[in-house]
Amino acid sequence: MSANRSMLLIGVGTAGAQIARGVSRAYGEGLRYVIADTDASTGEGAGDFILLGGDRLSGRGSGGDVAMARLAAEDSVQALDSKIEGVRMAVVVTCLGGGTGGGATLEILNRLSSLGIPSIAFATLPFLFEGDERQRNARGVMSMIEDASGAAIFLPLDKLVSGEDVMESAMKRATDSVASGVTLFWRLVEKPGYLKLDADRLRHLISGAGRGRFAAVTAQGPDRAAQAVDMLIRSETLAIASAAPKAVLCGVLAGDDLRLSELGQIADGIQEAFGKQLSFALGTVNDEATFSGRIAVVVMIFEMDGRASSSADDAKAAGGHRHKRSKSVLGAGPSKRGRFNNAEPTTWRGEDLDVPTFIRRGINLDF
Amino acid sequence: MSSIHAALEIGTTRTVLAIAEAAGGGRLSITSRAEIPSSGIRKSQILNIPDATQSIRSVLREVEKRQEATGSKVTIGNAVLAISGQHIMATRTDGQAIVESGRVGDAEIHEAVRRAREMPIPKGRELLDVVDQDYVLDRLGGITAPKGMSGKMLRLNALQIHADANRIQDARSAAEGAHLEIRDTVFATTCAADAVLEEHERRNGSLVLDLGGGSTGYAVYCDGFLLAAGVIGVGGDHVTNDIAHAFQTTNAQAEQLKTEESSAIPVRRTGEGERVRITGSSALMESRTISRLSLDTVVNARLKELFAIIRERLEDQDLVHRLHAGAVLTGGGAGMKDLPRLAEQELGMSVRIGRPIHMDGLDGEKAPWAFAAISGALMYAHANYEDRSILDDIFGRFFK
Repeated sequence: MSANRSMLLIGVGTAGAQIARGVSRAYGEGLRYVIADTDASTGEGAGDFILLGGDRLSGRGSGGDVAMARLAAEDSVQALDSKIEGVRMAVVVTCLGGGTGGGATLEILNRLSSLGIPSIAFATLPFLFEGDERQRNARGVMSMIEDASGAAIFLPLDKLVSGEDVMESAMKRATDSVASGVTLFWRLVEKPGYLKLDADRLRHLISGAGRGRFAAVTAQGPDRAAQAVDMLIRSETLAIASAAPKAVLCGVLAGDDLRLSELGQIADGIQEAFGKQLSFALGTVNDEATFSGRIAVVVMIFEMDGRASSSADDAKAAGGHRHKRSKSVLGAGPSKRGRFNNAEPTTWRGEDLDVPTFIRRGINLDF
Repeated sequence: MSSIHAALEIGTTRTVLAIAEAAGGGRLSITSRAEIPSSGIRKSQILNIPDATQSIRSVLREVEKRQEATGSKVTIGNAVLAISGQHIMATRTDGQAIVESGRVGDAEIHEAVRRAREMPIPKGRELLDVVDQDYVLDRLGGITAPKGMSGKMLRLNALQIHADANRIQDARSAAEGAHLEIRDTVFATTCAADAVLEEHERRNGSLVLDLGGGSTGYAVYCDGFLLAAGVIGVGGDHVTNDIAHAFQTTNAQAEQLKTEESSAIPVRRTGEGERVRITGSSALMESRTISRLSLDTVVNARLKELFAIIRERLEDQDLVHRLHAGAVLTGGGAGMKDLPRLAEQELGMSVRIGRPIHMDGLDGEKAPWAFAAISGALMYAHANYEDRSILDDIFGRFFK
């Protein structure tokens, strides 16, 4: 199986299609993508297009109806199956707020999951100015998307543009920004590197990771590593307020001139900036043709709440870089779980809540 | 004779069955109830169906016996089942209808309701309830009765409550083993809320916390609607487990320390109150004492964490600022000493203990809050099966 056959990009809905096309344009040859929408006009000029619910909606779109879009996607499951045959991992890009973005994405992720194909969803959340209804539509499906996908990254559109952007171009700018991030992510997985994060290894890392944050930055010049770390720390899409433990995936894309010291600077900077981590996986891509003289750093952070963590062992198995604070699940260990020893763990922000709180908090008791 | 309905709650620590009949004035009265410690259940989920069946059989027999003692013989053939567990989730949904005439009529309302009901749920889940919220007509929200209003698009917001289908089937199987038909399955926490909340609390914004043995359910109400609900897989059993681990006690000793000695807020004491005696678990084990402050510290750490998780969940959904009427603690764990005070500190709102307010027959009960969910389930049964009673199924059993 060729490398580019192992991963499939699926753009859902009109805006999801724009992102997928943007990724394809930026990546160039070798990326396979499919567009799925309830609106037939989205498919014009698209190679691989699935019209969702053709009989039900006659290609006129879902009219913002999440339920209708879900039913439409269910109707078209056979068409989807034919496109995902042989795929080992899927990246789904979409914009939440309307009908198809939320409803159809959910069904597609469910289908992927039922076929055992791990998926990662990149979903934008509506601009605040778009109003309550779209916000509510988006919020209504977020947790279900999170459940249905191996890992879900939600990107608020407001955080992808500056307040100075002209309103008319804000949407395009935001989707371009998502496309550019997903392209870097794709390169990270598909291009060879010294510390490889290929689809199989990534699959291990993200499986069940839950809701995550994502940022991708590029920098050049002599202090490019420090610049990149600084930009990541200030990145609005990566901002995490909670002190919850995290699983971190970091990819560095560079040309032949990437120095070991730069790699160390980036790894240490990120670990220091984003608090306690259950696992830290580092991958690199050597792509002189694209990144000569500059670097790109892609970071995904998963706050481990109520999900199985991508454990440090996975990170190690994936060739990732394991650091001193790596643990499988904070405080876990059969002897500490008492009567919950064989029970399915209850986790929150990466902590095993079945382990006594006083142990996890390091509270000393006077007997 | 008025209809008699039964409700069953299979909890982590106890299995409860109760029957109730209308008492007049819109109230119900529990005429007979029984509870026994559960076995084969952990974290609100059945791990051993025969054990759970045995528990159900025992409460069934006991309720029938107690009812007979009142001079009215019944054979309970069916019940509404109230369930909890962290597999239960609530997600938002809606149903839309185009208002072609420009004025909302019954047809549009029915269409919006129908479509909200038809919204699919994830595979492997079973729908427990679809709870209607407000109507939105074009951009105008918060509407409760849209009929006759002018606009183009009507939407009904609703909340789907769904659960792991396998877990529900396990509970049904356990009940079937005791020859008890489960006619409906309901979410214990919203049942508890129905039983304990005052109308003004539903309107002004209230959080109900149903503190069970294996899990803690929450339900948020505002403007009269259920806005959010869910379950956290941490309950009173976790407190017991923490105590057992900290002081190397048996579960029974830890349970006793939790219910009889501990406080949710640690206070340093001097003199006699400084230490707590643990009676030996067998003749060979000597009694010993532990620090009361340490006991309270262990309990406090767990409960503080639970409230912090709940607050975070509410903050994630931007709900905290809407809870003007505060929080209501109910369920078996609500009676812990100083719990309301700790909840007030951690949740940042006023807190009260919730006991069933629409239910008679709980006089003399030391912990009426522990019967909130079963009371709500009985209210649900009476509201939804008005024309039937448990006797229908008795005849069904004998004459089929």
